Amino acid sequence: MVSKSKRAAALVLTAVLAAASLAGCGGTTTVTSGGTQTSGGTTSSASTESNAGSGAGDAVDIDSEETIKTIKDAMAKEAEATGGKISMKLWCSGDDLKFEKKLIEEFKEKYKDDRFEIKIQASGAIGEDAAGGKIVESPQDGADVFNFADDQLSTLVEAKAIAKVANLFQNNVVKNNSEDAVTVCKINDTAYAFPKTSDNGYFMYYDKRVFKDEKSVENMDDMIKTANEAGKSVYLNLSNGWYNTGFFFTAGCTVEYKDGVQTADYANEKGLAAAKAMCHLAENIDKGFVGTAGSAGDNAAVQQGFANNQYAAAIIGTWMGPAIKKSIGEENVGAAKLPTVLMDGEQKQLHSFGGYKVVGVNAFTKYPTTAQTLAYFLTTGESQLKRYACRGLIPTNNEALQTKETVKNILDDTDVQVDIQSDPALKAIDAQRQYAHPQGSSVGGKYWASNIGGFGSEIVTAKGKISDADLEKKLKDLVDQMKG
Amino acid sequence: MTQSQSSKEMATGYAARTKAFNILVYVILAVMVIVWIFPIVWLILQSLRGEEGISTPYFFPHEITFKNYVRLFTDERFPFLRWFFNTLFVAVLSCVISTLFILMVSYAFSRLRFKSRKTFLNFGLILGMFPGFMSMAATYSIMEIFGLKQQLIALVIVYSAGAGLGYQVAKGFFDTIPRSLDEAAKIDGATRNQIFWQIILPLSKPIIVYTALTTFIGPWADYIFVSYFMKDNSDNWTVALGLYQMLGNQTMSEYFTVFCAGAVVIAIPITVLFVIMQRFYVEGVTGGAVKG
Amino acid sequence: MDYLDYVQMTKGQKFAYKLKSFFAAIPKVIVKLFMYIGYFFKKLFTIIGTGLKGYGYRFAKGDIGTKLSFIIMGAGNMMHRQIAKGLIFLATEVAYIWFMISFGSVQISKIFSMNVDVFRDGSTIVSGALGSEPPLKQENMLGVEEIVNLDTLDNSNKILLFFVMTVLISIAFFAIYIANTKSAFATQQQLKEGVKPASFLAEMKDFLDEKFHVTLLTLPVLLLMLFTVLPIIFTIFMAFTNYDKEHQPPGSLYWWVGFDNFADVFYANPMKSETFGKILVWTLVWAVFATFTNYIFGIILALMINKKGIKFKGFWRTMFVITAAVPQFVTLLIMRLLLGDNTGLNAMWGTSIPFLSDATWARITVIVVNMWVGIPYTMLISSGLLMNIPADLYESARIDGANAFQQFTKITFPYIFFVTTPYLITTFVGNINNFNVIYFLTGGGPSPSNYYQAGQTDLLVTWLYKLTVNSSDFNLAAVIGIIVFVICAIGSLITFNNSKAAKNEEEFS
Repeated sequence: MVSKSKRAAALVLTAVLAAASLAGCGGTTTVTSGGTQTSGGTTSSASTESNAGSGAGDAVDIDSEETIKTIKDAMAKEAEATGGKISMKLWCSGDDLKFEKKLIEEFKEKYKDDRFEIKIQASGAIGEDAAGGKIVESPQDGADVFNFADDQLSTLVEAKAIAKVANLFQNNVVKNNSEDAVTVCKINDTAYAFPKTSDNGYFMYYDKRVFKDEKSVENMDDMIKTANEAGKSVYLNLSNGWYNTGFFFTAGCTVEYKDGVQTADYANEKGLAAAKAMCHLAENIDKGFVGTAGSAGDNAAVQQGFANNQYAAAIIGTWMGPAIKKSIGEENVGAAKLPTVLMDGEQKQLHSFGGYKVVGVNAFTKYPTTAQTLAYFLTTGESQLKRYACRGLIPTNNEALQTKETVKNILDDTDVQVDIQSDPALKAIDAQRQYAHPQGSSVGGKYWASNIGGFGSEIVTAKGKISDADLEKKLKDLVDQMKG
Repeated sequence: MTQSQSSKEMATGYAARTKAFNILVYVILAVMVIVWIFPIVWLILQSLRGEEGISTPYFFPHEITFKNYVRLFTDERFPFLRWFFNTLFVAVLSCVISTLFILMVSYAFSRLRFKSRKTFLNFGLILGMFPGFMSMAATYSIMEIFGLKQQLIALVIVYSAGAGLGYQVAKGFFDTIPRSLDEAAKIDGATRNQIFWQIILPLSKPIIVYTALTTFIGPWADYIFVSYFMKDNSDNWTVALGLYQMLGNQTMSEYFTVFCAGAVVIAIPITVLFVIMQRFYVEGVTGGAVKG
Repeated sequence: MDYLDYVQMTKGQKFAYKLKSFFAAIPKVIVKLFMYIGYFFKKLFTIIGTGLKGYGYRFAKGDIGTKLSFIIMGAGNMMHRQIAKGLIFLATEVAYIWFMISFGSVQISKIFSMNVDVFRDGSTIVSGALGSEPPLKQENMLGVEEIVNLDTLDNSNKILLFFVMTVLISIAFFAIYIANTKSAFATQQQLKEGVKPASFLAEMKDFLDEKFHVTLLTLPVLLLMLFTVLPIIFTIFMAFTNYDKEHQPPGSLYWWVGFDNFADVFYANPMKSETFGKILVWTLVWAVFATFTNYIFGIILALMINKKGIKFKGFWRTMFVITAAVPQFVTLLIMRLLLGDNTGLNAMWGTSIPFLSDATWARITVIVVNMWVGIPYTMLISSGLLMNIPADLYESARIDGANAFQQFTKITFPYIFFVTTPYLITTFVGNINNFNVIYFLTGGGPSPSNYYQAGQTDLLVTWLYKLTVNSSDFNLAAVIGIIVFVICAIGSLITFNNSKAAKNEEEFS
């Protein structure tokens, strides 16, 4: 679609879109009423089956002149209602604020038009961990476009506070990003978010001075012993549901979140085995194992632990990489998949949550097209690459992941040699991937609202000395709580 | 043993016992002061700490520096200075309005007799028993209707609109002023308006200072309402919310020492104010609260 | 029983007396509570009755002007030569009618929009939902999902709020309406008796003298109504809806569920009701300990500082005042770090004492830290009081040969206790509502698995806050708010009615 007359191009584009939407939901444009019971509940009319790679015509070239013009026309129409001004809010992590602001400038430049003026206010006040909750709380006060961690997606969809990914971008998003990343952005086969980075999971950072080779970081029990001999500890936050759920996955428990119902079969022998494995580790508290962040929170605990030479290894994610490197020196930092833990008398590979950071569009935005376009722009392969160069956050875009070239750091105009495949953190994430479980389909808001963290906390406080009967009772309570 | 001797011995024995007792009191006081001041000293030391992170395994920082204070006032991500002036603005305005309201209401209830006075008093008593922030979601919606969503003025309104309910202490104080003063003035032809401004208020310095002090300090320490009302609008945060945000999971290890610096900066003026005004505070509260 | 009788009792007698009177008070208070409720309704009906009687009487005996004012407000005043006042009444009526037509009636009609409710047991009935127009989604030509009715869609919150507002405005209007008929009739009587009705200026001037209370109270009461009473009523209504995580307007509307939420808290939902029971017990335990530890140790500290022969009184006092002056959220957050599992003291000592992470430890810690926070205040207040104790009491005690300790137990403490009873009530109620200490220090934790959205040091109010902010269970939060209110009301009623200060209020007047 390069050298056709503009009108023809617009026609073709519309036709393609119509075809895509026909292929998807087998009907005309869908009007769904997302309201009270009168509307007949949740009709799944929006279940647009994504058909990645099913035809070259599906993915539209977003950067073609014609598409840009069509988008601008839609933006101009939206701007009319507010006097030619598009005024939006973006929420991102405070750490990323500077970078996102740069990208916003590029976005404004790309979609500049005489008919409207774009104003986007970026704020780092509501971070990725809190954004979903705040949007649900009062969608009309929330940002038009927001960055969030994928575990909040189900809550957002349930509250009908997030818009589905526009048909225009959907096939591009599906085709260009890794399969896993796309899966977590979907609920009931509808894509609601734009994958941005693949670092919302955890693995293990360790001190190479204590753990000399890769073999020494394979087994949790050995690691604790080695660390203790060196006068240090291994950190795994059992008091946090995000980390301790890995034990239940390891034991083979199934956790599912569907249609607003949270199920987790923890109240059985498998759940008990997981709990006892946690107890087994907690017995080593003060003897080479740290199982809680205390009142400080994960990041602060890990930072302090390495800075004060107390930790030899920690189970945490990429975001703590820079701080750990600063504390013990880059050359001493190793990254690996999670170790094995003793469960039911045998060593089993510890499972984890593998998550993504994604971008969503507020369903109640006054400028849906602009917001969708911005969300797409912030998550293209190019933007993801820039993000990696500036912030070290690992992309989800297939092409970006394979890139080996020099990229400009747009924050300080330096050149960065990018070779993501050789990033030790990425290697660790990749190694852990087959044991990592996506969050969107397995856990919903009720899971986090339950006392899953408190459960681990109790084990830690009791230093693992809890009777089986007590554990069973607690597990039963936990499961009841998740049901609501 | 003569009479005088024994009484003398008794006296010296008594004096010795008193002295011993006093020393014991000194020791207890000293220990208590150390316990009470310890966290404050720790706070100040942390604010001067050069090492990063949330805590050190030793009491005295190895590196003493003022860079946390410099960072406090220059940091882009946490614009403390802006929050400081926001808080000052809200505190001054709500202090003026609240003090006026409290004095007006308590004067009316204390010195004036009117038909529905008892009803109003009971009404106030009942309202005061609802948890303060129980209805903040609704208050937020009301602010939205008035177009004051996430505005500083909304905070002023929240802090001062309900101020009238805090009449008890000031009313108790007014109750203690002899009524004969009013009677005399009335005979001289003064209206109740004039009595309020020209006779009662000049006699009420302690309670005015007390009321002003408590209403001024309120906004500096309030976290609940600001956090709910300002949400993401970080331009309009106050120091309490701003500083609390520094201790978020993402930023705590980097900003903890800066937080301590900020805490010291806002604690100094309030502490000085409080220490200077403590006489009025005591007079106000003992004259009012206790006598109900 | 007299104060002096009480002082003369022996220790054992005093204790027995206190115990007796405490338990004796409970049934009395409950009876009293019902008496109050009965009394309230009796009074209400009397007021309505006399009101109706007066209303009818005024209409029957009124002249044309007065009769007209029953329909056209201000007509009576205008015809009785009070033009300005009459116009004000008229303007009020016009404004009210305009308000109801353009706005109020819509809000009232929306509050009971028809909707199908599915109840817990699966039965369905047609009843009221708050609003009938949910967001309508549509895709534009780019396949972008838009909400087409963004400007007109219903928001249950706004509907409920506007409804309460309309009702309050209507009540206020009704009061003005009655005042209008009264005023019309009064001026009619005055004219009949040959008295010239007061001029507008004279009536205005009266607001600075005879009616000065109106001038003083109008603005504070008006703002109180708008920003305190209105939200409270709104929140009470919320307790009867299903406004929770799954019903967040405007995305999805909420509707009336009757007493379901109360049932949940008290028995229907085992998780919630157990959590409530445990938190309630802890709240009361906490309030008792927090109040009395501060109170007793504060007085002892004040006695030590003010003891004869102790030097540098100002210094000692200032040292403690400093800690009271530093904003609480600062000191408490610092304490949190100081007492953390692997920070502060634990880091310095190389230990891992679970100050805040073990339930028993955490409960003791919050009470101790609360002493740290509160004792300076009590010290300041009781310092002031100590100076007010009549010197002759000590004089006579000394003549009777009482030693210092006896003087304290026989005079100082009873006196202070006697004078500060109202203060104690306020502190007790304040401690039930003590948000800061718990929230900043432990955040309510540690949280065991069998608590719903709460931890073992959570008070009812911090639970309320968490329900509002963390889990968006607004309906449950409203129920808890109402319960806290009831507890505070009963607590205050018990003590307030028995305290001398309440009975003596009129003595000063």
